[in-house]
Amino acid sequence: MQKLIEVRNLNIAYGSPAGWTNVVQGVSFEIARGEAFGLVGESGCGKSTVAYRLLGYGTVNSLVQTGEVLFDGTDLLKLDAKSLRRMRGNRIALVPQNPTTSLSPGMRVGSQIREMIATHKALPPGMSMQARIAELFALVGLPDVGHRYPHELSGGQQQRVTIAMAVACNPDLLVLDEPTTGLDVTTQRQIIQLLGDLRSRIGMAMLYVTHDLALLAQIADRVGVMYAGQLVEVAPCDQLLAAPAHPYSRGLIASIPTVAGTERQARGLRGVLRRDQMSTGCKFEPRCDFASAACRSTPQVLEPVAETRTVACMKWRESAVPETPAVKPRLDAKATAKPERLLSIADLDLTYRKPGLFDKLLGRTSPSVVRDIDLELRAGEVVALVGESGSGKSTIARAISGRLPPRAGLISLDGGLLDPALKSRSVEQLRQIQYIFQNPDVSLNPRRRIRAILERPLDHFGIKADVKTLEGVLENVGLHAGYLDRFPEQLSGGERQRIAIARALLVNPKLLICDEILSALDVSVQARIVELLRSLKEKHAVAMLFISHDLAVVQQLADRVAVLYRGELMQLAETETLLAAPLHPYTEMLLEAAPGLSKDHYVSRPPAMPASKPVPGIGCPLAGRCPRQVGSVCAETRPPVQATGSGFIRCHVPVEKLATRAAPPVEKRPAAVV
Amino acid sequence: MSVFRLLASRILFSALTLLLVSVLIFLILEALPGDVATRILGRDATARALEVLRSQLHLDQPALVRYFHWLGDFLRGDLGVSIATGRPIADVLGPRIVNTLLLSLFAFVIYLVLALVPAIIQATNRGKAVDNVISVITLILLSLPDFLLATMLLFLFAVAVPILPALATISEASTWQETLRAMVLPAVTLAIMMAVYAIRVLRDSLIEVLRSDYVRLAELKGLRPRAVLFRHALPNAIVPALNVTALNLGFLIGGVVIVERVFSYPGFGTLLIDALQLRDIPLIKATVMISAAVYVAANLVADVLAILLQPRLRASR
Repeated sequence: MQKLIEVRNLNIAYGSPAGWTNVVQGVSFEIARGEAFGLVGESGCGKSTVAYRLLGYGTVNSLVQTGEVLFDGTDLLKLDAKSLRRMRGNRIALVPQNPTTSLSPGMRVGSQIREMIATHKALPPGMSMQARIAELFALVGLPDVGHRYPHELSGGQQQRVTIAMAVACNPDLLVLDEPTTGLDVTTQRQIIQLLGDLRSRIGMAMLYVTHDLALLAQIADRVGVMYAGQLVEVAPCDQLLAAPAHPYSRGLIASIPTVAGTERQARGLRGVLRRDQMSTGCKFEPRCDFASAACRSTPQVLEPVAETRTVACMKWRESAVPETPAVKPRLDAKATAKPERLLSIADLDLTYRKPGLFDKLLGRTSPSVVRDIDLELRAGEVVALVGESGSGKSTIARAISGRLPPRAGLISLDGGLLDPALKSRSVEQLRQIQYIFQNPDVSLNPRRRIRAILERPLDHFGIKADVKTLEGVLENVGLHAGYLDRFPEQLSGGERQRIAIARALLVNPKLLICDEILSALDVSVQARIVELLRSLKEKHAVAMLFISHDLAVVQQLADRVAVLYRGELMQLAETETLLAAPLHPYTEMLLEAAPGLSKDHYVSRPPAMPASKPVPGIGCPLAGRCPRQVGSVCAETRPPVQATGSGFIRCHVPVEKLATRAAPPVEKRPAAVV
Repeated sequence: MSVFRLLASRILFSALTLLLVSVLIFLILEALPGDVATRILGRDATARALEVLRSQLHLDQPALVRYFHWLGDFLRGDLGVSIATGRPIADVLGPRIVNTLLLSLFAFVIYLVLALVPAIIQATNRGKAVDNVISVITLILLSLPDFLLATMLLFLFAVAVPILPALATISEASTWQETLRAMVLPAVTLAIMMAVYAIRVLRDSLIEVLRSDYVRLAELKGLRPRAVLFRHALPNAIVPALNVTALNLGFLIGGVVIVERVFSYPGFGTLLIDALQLRDIPLIKATVMISAAVYVAANLVADVLAILLQPRLRASR
């Protein structure tokens, strides 16, 4: 195969007042023409730093110590600014991580693409600029949205725009920096599908940077696994996923939650990457299950172990032996008597807009964000609230916690009615509901020590506690007393989230609201927090409302799942039943979109009646997007609630008909517009 | 909400603000001790003459009636008659406003250059010597009172190196070259006083924008640095500086009073000082109302520009 780009012995350091830190060490790999190469690793492993160097780009405080990035024979690291500009966008293009912040907010998206083509004079001969831009939009499955501003497009559409822009000059190499991280599962899959499609049509090479191995399985030919700035394994994607050789690759793969992955084999990763605890030998040694004394002192470099495979581990033969699957006893022994009802929500209706004076006079009502929610939580039960962004998951949590008084509906806890407004609730009621936020980096006060953070709720609720209590709760979440005198910034993301959980547990609540508490964390950390939550649930019999967009995580933790779409409850079912037989078309879409650990040739189902628009507040919100829509009745009338074994679905299609799963679509269609 | 509804609501609020200002001015001047009729006719005027004058000036009517009377006249363009000179205020104000507008416009153009150029230089050379030097200079200028700066410039360019006139007295007879030369020193003083605030805000917001994802993507699209700066960075960085500029225009009104005084420039500011010294109440009312209107209008323009520069604002509720 012909090499397109070759990275040779790249060493990069970041400067700080404390001195230089090596973030990339001795990284070498190559990408052939038309090949998709994946770079995977946890946050802080240096994968993005390497990727941006392929565009000849580095932040001001970073320094390339040694190394070459040879693109078609020229070293990008030695190019002058002008020649580099001729490369960028034209021959090597970037698809950024966050399209919402990466598109210029004050410029129409068409002009942003035009600018790219004009700069590189890349208009195909005999074609007008207008026609070329329209063609590019069509290529990524968008209508002509050139006159729109970025904020007028959805996240998925914005990402399609950046992809259209990246391929505008027919580049040889596309660098993709976590291009689907902020997107919903279904959107994510459509983008992946689109990228695969573009690759086969245009034939460009790709460097795909991500922390998500399941996604790489769908698109990459070969994968490089990075740890602490070094490549520890390079292998063809299917081989890596089937039989990872490096202990780190094994742990990483084991940590990934998948919907199908109930028969988990190897154990996940322990510990976290700490650059201050590096040994002179193998970087992974402190976290490795196979480490010996020699590992600590002998640096490991990539050695070929098979024709297409290199591994940087002298013990790879030992670690590659598959462990005997440790069958985890499923805790199916449910209490025979149904525990009492803890929380019940009836006819909840929420809106963010307060009606103005004019609206009141004219009798207008503002649209509801969330409608007709009926939900119950029993003591000690974990109910997951699942749905895409904007479906109203967090809004419901806000109403339960009292931060958003509902427009209509009743919320009661333990038989007593909860006042809609936070300030009118009793101290006791406040104590019983505790909230854990998505991002622990911003939900803990950076200026207070952990001790003060933990003591604050105890003071507030007048709970007597001694040092033992704090140590006990820290132990509960897998930390030790030494953390009490640290500041949040001295902790890793996972440790901070543990503190947030400890803080919530301290006051002995009956209900924990977990609002996307895993999404800001690395997979290996996620796996361990899930483990922690599971043990807490058993030990403390605390009920949880677990909000998530990730069905794979949900299945490891939740007893029941409530599926939400555009503010309406589509389905409620026991977790296992839901996964085995989703029934509701929307649940089915979500499940199909969740990537497995092997290439699954996912093709999104086309909607049955794309032109249909639901009557707001009356029709089924899924109308127009639903692959099983039966007719205009879906859009015009309220879907009936149909009882199923363990819950209900809200759908016009009869349950019996839904139970027979539609055959997966055979014909490959152009991706639907997100 | 459509752009038009947004605009309409902003204009409505501006009008309401002005109405409130008019009430305040009226109340304050009403609360001043002394009798207008006595001031005009002098202490030894007969009681009869005073009464006649009072009824001519509607002073015998209740305050509420007089307020609406004044407001109605004002809205029709009838600003009343100056007590001190006996001339219609519109005739006195007209040429002065033109002079001040000329001076402000000149100052504003200089201001734009003085604010943008150093800020761009600083933001693109962050942390380097030139950044620090400009920071120190702006800090020094920031802490100088405006009359002191005016006097220093006067000394430098009119006394030590006499290239510009010390007195900016112009009349209808002056040629445009003379007018321009006369305006340089006061305009530069005003511009510097305004620019030092804007430079700091603009530098910081430009640094932030230069660090943003969209500027990085623009760079990685292979655009020339100038295109990245002027097309992607600057339009977004200017928005915070717009509010400062609107506040600056408020300063301009106050600054004009002092700077015009220092350079004896026959503008609106000197007129306002005269009116205050002579307690020429109708003239004070008219000048204060006009300066308030300018201030409110400037903020309105800044708001509208911000909306135009940031399409996102149009969508916000």
